[in-house]
Amino acid sequence: MHSIMLSLRFSLSPSNITLTKKNQYHFGTKFPKVFATTTSSSNSDNGNVGLGGPEVALPEGLKRELMPKHVAVIMDGHRRWARQKGLSVEQGHRAGGEKMMVLTHLCSQLGIKVLTLFAFSTENWIRPKEEVGFLMKLFLDTASSQEKLDKWTRNDIRVSCIGDKSILSKPLREALTLLEEKTKSNSGLHVMIALNYSGRHDILQATKRIAKKVNNRLLEVEDIDKNLFEQELETHCIEFPEPDLLIRTSGEQRLSNFMLWQLAYTELYFTNKLFPDMEEADFIEALMSFQPRQRRYGGYITKT
Amino acid sequence: MDLGNEVQKILSWTSVCGNLALHLIWLIVHLIINVWYSALGIARVVENTLISSGLLKSYNAINISKVRYLAVVIDSEEARQTSKVLELLRWLASIGVLKKSQTAIIEGLNKSQKATASKIKSQEAIVEGSNHGTLVEHVDLEFVSFADSKPAVAKAANLLFAKHYASTILEKPNFTESDISEALQAVGYGGPEPDLLLVYGPVRCHLGFPAWRIRYTEIVHIGPLKSMKFGSLIKAIHKFTKVHQNYG
Repeated sequence: MHSIMLSLRFSLSPSNITLTKKNQYHFGTKFPKVFATTTSSSNSDNGNVGLGGPEVALPEGLKRELMPKHVAVIMDGHRRWARQKGLSVEQGHRAGGEKMMVLTHLCSQLGIKVLTLFAFSTENWIRPKEEVGFLMKLFLDTASSQEKLDKWTRNDIRVSCIGDKSILSKPLREALTLLEEKTKSNSGLHVMIALNYSGRHDILQATKRIAKKVNNRLLEVEDIDKNLFEQELETHCIEFPEPDLLIRTSGEQRLSNFMLWQLAYTELYFTNKLFPDMEEADFIEALMSFQPRQRRYGGYITKT
Repeated sequence: MDLGNEVQKILSWTSVCGNLALHLIWLIVHLIINVWYSALGIARVVENTLISSGLLKSYNAINISKVRYLAVVIDSEEARQTSKVLELLRWLASIGVLKKSQTAIIEGLNKSQKATASKIKSQEAIVEGSNHGTLVEHVDLEFVSFADSKPAVAKAANLLFAKHYASTILEKPNFTESDISEALQAVGYGGPEPDLLLVYGPVRCHLGFPAWRIRYTEIVHIGPLKSMKFGSLIKAIHKFTKVHQNYG
């Protein structure tokens, strides 16, 4: 159950009435303005977020200290969205791409540290050849877009890519590597794009790397434990590798082979809205449903 | 000056009336929202009651065969309510989910609860007041904990190292996802991939259920164990049977 906070303000003050030289009354105040907003920043508990972009106050109801550090999103529903609107699948994916930029900007403003986006799964290769080809071209255009790079730089956003890049085309691989290089020094939001990613493959490649290290006598067999594993997963390079909140759109309620290891204690938020239909208010609703949760990570809360 | 005072009085009066009117509108809006959510809550309770009593025909004939492997995750604090846990298992048995050739995978129970739950294997399970009673001949229950998840993968990695490196002179490892599945089986942490995972607890997360096994598992958060309803359980399973997966 959610309570929607509305703020109604009524402004009229008799002190705005002035006496002119001709003893006429000038009503300096316009007719009383009554306006309602659902994102009031009048609450002094909401801190301002100072990142590379302009400072913004948090929306009403969100607490900065309870903001998730790492949000993961499974962007689902592009094709259904396009079908509903009578558009082509390509237009659906393009709409999803634009929404991704909106989400990135929002997370940057809200002070979230890491945003992981599930863009393409290893299982998605079975889709029609034309659709896969279009998606690869869309990724290439996005990665090599100067306009998007400028936006990310302006907002101090770092972009990196996880997933098996070895089977992607050379131009796309190079564009992604260049994008990672150019944004490496940005210290704000870290956006991780999961491209040709599989949770099981992530665990598999970590296993291979560890086995190789043991074989090369860099590690002992006894050293292999879950902590070591986490250091070999594709998410090892980020400050907060385990998502606090996972958002999946379009009503599907499963992980679909996404970050299987990392999502052990992640809050799962499933919404029926299709990803291109998601608005800022929908993402904020997901954050608001996360904030009051008492996360125990498998333990007890002992009452004293 | 009298005119000025009069105007000021009128404006003051208008301001006060305006504020009162806005306050009234504000209260009305709150009232409407509270009534709406109360109505939703009542509708939910009524629906659960109708489902439990079997009056909603669409929920009587669930295609249980779609749920070959059902997983239940119970929050560690909630799992202390042993009677509720056992009631849940009896409900599952009565629905017919826990028939022969099907498996239920339970996470979150302690040792004594597991022992008691195992006794349900050969017991008659009938839910009072429902149309879903059935005699259960044999129930397969698998109990898992966090140790079956990440530490298990580490052990499987040890085994793979021994198999692929210790006994060969291969430069590069060539084991696959199937090898990991087999290795997990070999070290005693293998098992089926659940079709449906029900989460009982205050938090919507799967609480460290074996990560390797939930690649395509449908995850449904039911809510706190203490307020579990038979109707909610039926509804979750019924909804799952209507789901279509693309697998990519």
